[in-house]
Amino acid sequence: MPQVKIVAKNFMDMVASLPAMKLDKLYQNAFICQAILRSMPPLAKRYVLQLLFIDAPVTGKMLEESVLADGLSKHKVAIDRLVQLRVLTEALDRKKEATYRMNPTFQMNVQKLIVHGGVLPREPMPSTAGFRLPSLEELDAYAVQQWECFLLHLISSSEAEKATTNISSSMMKVFQRGLLSQKDDKEPPRLTEGGFQFLLMDTNAQLWYIIREYIGNSEERGLDSADLVSFLLELSFHATGEAYNINTLSDIQRAIIRDLADLGLVKLQQGRKESWFIPTKLATNLSISLSDTSSRKQGYVVVETNFRMYAYSSSKLHCEILRLFARVEYQLPNLIVGAITKESLYKAFQNGITAEQIISFLQQNAHPRVAERIPTVPENVTDQIRLWESDLNRVECIPAHFFEEFPSREVFEAACDHARECGGFLWENSKKMWLVVKAESFAYMKEFLRGKKQ
Amino acid sequence: MMNRDINGEGRKLNRGEEEEEEDEDEESGRGRDAWERAYADERSWESLQEDESGLLRPIDNKALHHAQYRRRLRTATTAGIQKGLIRYLYIVIDLSRAAGEMDYKPSRMVVVARQVEAFIREFFDQNPLSQIGLVTLKDGVAQCLTDLGGSPESHIKALMGKLECSGDSSLQNGLDLVHDLLNQIPSYGHREVLILYSALSTCDPGDIMETIQKCKGAKIRCSIVGLSAELYICKYLCQETGGLYSVALDEPHLKELVLEHAPPPPAIAEFAIANLIKMGFPQRAAEGVISICSCHKEAKFGGGYTCPRCKARVCELPTECRICGLTLVSSPHLARSYHHLFPITPFDDVSPSITNIPQKLPKSCFGCQQSLLNPGNLPGPCVACPKCKQHFCLDCDIYIHESLQNCPGCESFKQSNSVTNMEE
Amino acid sequence: MSPPVPSKILTDDVSLLMVLIDTNPHFWSSIKPHFSFSKFLSHVLAFLNSILLLNQLNQVVVIATGINACGYVFDSSSGSVSQRAESLLPKLEEFAENDESLSERDDDSGNGVGSSLLSGSLSMALCYIQRVFRSGPLHPQPRILCLHGSPDGPGQYVAIMNSIFSAQRSMVPIDSCVVGIQHSAFLQQASYITGGVYLKPQQLDGLFQYLATVFATDLHSRNFLRLPKPVGVDFRASCFCHKNTIDMGFICSVCLSIFCKHQKKCSTCGSTFGQAKTHDPSASQQR
Repeated sequence: MPQVKIVAKNFMDMVASLPAMKLDKLYQNAFICQAILRSMPPLAKRYVLQLLFIDAPVTGKMLEESVLADGLSKHKVAIDRLVQLRVLTEALDRKKEATYRMNPTFQMNVQKLIVHGGVLPREPMPSTAGFRLPSLEELDAYAVQQWECFLLHLISSSEAEKATTNISSSMMKVFQRGLLSQKDDKEPPRLTEGGFQFLLMDTNAQLWYIIREYIGNSEERGLDSADLVSFLLELSFHATGEAYNINTLSDIQRAIIRDLADLGLVKLQQGRKESWFIPTKLATNLSISLSDTSSRKQGYVVVETNFRMYAYSSSKLHCEILRLFARVEYQLPNLIVGAITKESLYKAFQNGITAEQIISFLQQNAHPRVAERIPTVPENVTDQIRLWESDLNRVECIPAHFFEEFPSREVFEAACDHARECGGFLWENSKKMWLVVKAESFAYMKEFLRGKKQ
Repeated sequence: MMNRDINGEGRKLNRGEEEEEEDEDEESGRGRDAWERAYADERSWESLQEDESGLLRPIDNKALHHAQYRRRLRTATTAGIQKGLIRYLYIVIDLSRAAGEMDYKPSRMVVVARQVEAFIREFFDQNPLSQIGLVTLKDGVAQCLTDLGGSPESHIKALMGKLECSGDSSLQNGLDLVHDLLNQIPSYGHREVLILYSALSTCDPGDIMETIQKCKGAKIRCSIVGLSAELYICKYLCQETGGLYSVALDEPHLKELVLEHAPPPPAIAEFAIANLIKMGFPQRAAEGVISICSCHKEAKFGGGYTCPRCKARVCELPTECRICGLTLVSSPHLARSYHHLFPITPFDDVSPSITNIPQKLPKSCFGCQQSLLNPGNLPGPCVACPKCKQHFCLDCDIYIHESLQNCPGCESFKQSNSVTNMEE
Repeated sequence: MSPPVPSKILTDDVSLLMVLIDTNPHFWSSIKPHFSFSKFLSHVLAFLNSILLLNQLNQVVVIATGINACGYVFDSSSGSVSQRAESLLPKLEEFAENDESLSERDDDSGNGVGSSLLSGSLSMALCYIQRVFRSGPLHPQPRILCLHGSPDGPGQYVAIMNSIFSAQRSMVPIDSCVVGIQHSAFLQQASYITGGVYLKPQQLDGLFQYLATVFATDLHSRNFLRLPKPVGVDFRASCFCHKNTIDMGFICSVCLSIFCKHQKKCSTCGSTFGQAKTHDPSASQQR
């Protein structure tokens, strides 16, 4: 069974793969330095802090000294990452030893951040601007609503049709690239395997997947990816719930803001004279999701040992997501009751969702009451989900070749041994002198048998 | 239910009258349905209780809080009484046929061993300089499993290696053996026996009453925790020697009963003769220094301790200096028990009459800065230290009395600092 | 029964750093020629800012340890999202003034530098950490950092030891950075018992570098880093009678009180001691 797995690839890998020139340019922005610093593994952060006020190059040995033997691999990872991100530049000194020196722009910016503090990217709206700011709760609700709307659109285009009319279809296409497939125009688009898996990821991972698609797509639209990255990172350092004047943005940024508003990252607000944008939690979370640390949010699902599932949620999206792998039985105003059945899981597996994804979804979204206990999801349920999955994989197809009518038992046995040696052996029947080998080792076998014949 | 037996008193407090007033609406409002609680935890029915209208409700934590508070108040009243801090305790474990019974899962002796392990650790935590020894009763004889010693690990290891049961148990043989062993200890030590008794009978070679009188004469305090049912002879023994007798209902109860013996018991003046012992507090040498230790007579690498009198090096504490004979202890070891000497005063509940004037109350807990206001800006439940008059939340109250043993308020003000019981 | 110690399953490097700053004015004026309080603060503020910079979930709480009072002066989790450590300055000033006014009333500042109330601020920090533990299974890993300079106050011995044991039970390491002239026996013991780091920087001018390389290390990274090892631990105790720090003394067999001289009667528990002997022979026979 082919495994298509979409993972929210670490955003930093993407940044690290930017060309050197662009990276150096990025570091001129203090916020990016901060975001990059936060995304590093703990040991790398320590090195940055350690070298922060040292101008001379430092030998790698000196850094390594403070690491215990079993931390050496972590040390290597940290150094590699720092070099990759061009935070440290590697050089060889006279004794041919590796020395490291911190990127001066980066160094200066972080120093400034620590000593003087950062300046906000732009001034928030003065409180006298003449309209009421939405409260943080309202803003959160707005962000969640926009985001869920977008996800609902993925699941069932028809259902969300009325709600999503405000999302420009061209943008939608970008966001949904790889998640939806459409055979022809008449048929409604269908979720791909990747799309199903996408739905089970947590919000931050989803967000980054989308943002990555967006950035990857930017070159086509004539945008510089470095500009886009820096703007997104900058956005994440704006204060949630404050309004910022749109006029402070460049034209390109204004276009981006509009796209992001569709996803619920910012809320646009029309003032009397000027228009404003208000970053929501989704936007400020952008820099948080950079790191691989666990996200913290309240779950809502309780799974019982009898395969029943209770989800405290009034969200339509949650219901739809649960429907992906469970049979929803009742829907009360704040509670969804369902059951995980063999049929419902088979449906999910057919859609390309794996058992592990379902289990990790159940674990990540566990209701706080059950999240405290170990295991969060009853073991019999997780085991059964895995068993049902492996049921589907009982038959494995391997292209093979079948040999029969060997001239003698000796030749047959020698052929079997040879097949085992070259790792292509699959099956034999010594009574009837039948042998099956993998297709890739067919050539070797043929050669071998030819040799035997002579 | 209230009167099933005397021993379960502490537990019964949880179920008793206290929670009835408290868990009216706020608890049920939170809607704890059956599937929200752990199935894994056995005897889940025990955490349910019936309310006055016959509905089942989970027991809430508030009751627990109050039970703890009660217990604390009880111990606080014993403050000032001398306590036997240097204890020599033998744990006698019944490994007769009866210990193989399966009414405790998987069997009585496994459960007992588990509790003894927990007890030994807790004991050494609370009683520095004290020593424990293990004795087993099996096939009618008593056997000394480990000698008195201060290392929890060696006792636990010895016990875990010897877990098999057979024959009858003899209370008399056990007491005789312990009596002989405890005769050798220094006069200032408190002699104690804790017997974990599974059997319902004792099979003795002579007159047990004589042995009991002998123990009484030797000032050995005998306590018994029974696993099956109350026995007259056990009760008599404990009464005579000033110990505690209790019978466990189930495993958690057993644990509670056994751990009750971990804090030092009140000392009875004539039981041990008070004495001043000269002791040294060695310094720990720097890591990575090589020196020759006096106990193993070999060069050792890394931190050891230096005797303050003769500067000889020893590897472990507590011990006696090989060179000058000074008793060496680690001072933190001693300090572990000081909270018994200077128990912290219980905090007062802030009475509702004062609570009515919100301006007078601080907004947050002095210890943890948690808001003391309930949602809706009404003052929530809080307590105040009678000395420094600072207010604390209920959680800090428990933490301060159960673990920290300091009042952050009293410690933070110099004036009141002189009032603390440090000063005689 | 101590509150349940939460399981430490978080592998994150997210930390809760409780910083106890010694504000003893006598101490700071005593070392002013070398290192002033304002210089010290600038190093510490940079350090606190860098902790906050490293991870958006990191939390820093600062408690000022005065000579007459202790108080919270900074909590990065309260208020707006991106709070910087500089915002503690006004509160610290207010605290110092209050502290000083209390001492004027007391006018006992005659005897040297005096000690600051470390036991109080430690107790407060532990209470705060317990609150974080209570907040649920996902909480930052707490640790305590004592930036201390004043000499130990032997009168606080019992209270400090109680705090140390409570920290040990909750698996909270106490790091100590001693900026004073002499070593602190209390902090040596605190760090040794709780598994924290004890360090007395050689050059105070480079304080930030010490803080950044040693004390910024989160608990997760400590598993594979080589941090400064203790240069010996001073296990001396304070006697109960004169509050002297002693390395040899007499212990009451009933209550374990420590005395520096032989007494007839234990002042703590009231037992009268039988025979006046410097060394108890029965004890040595037994061993």
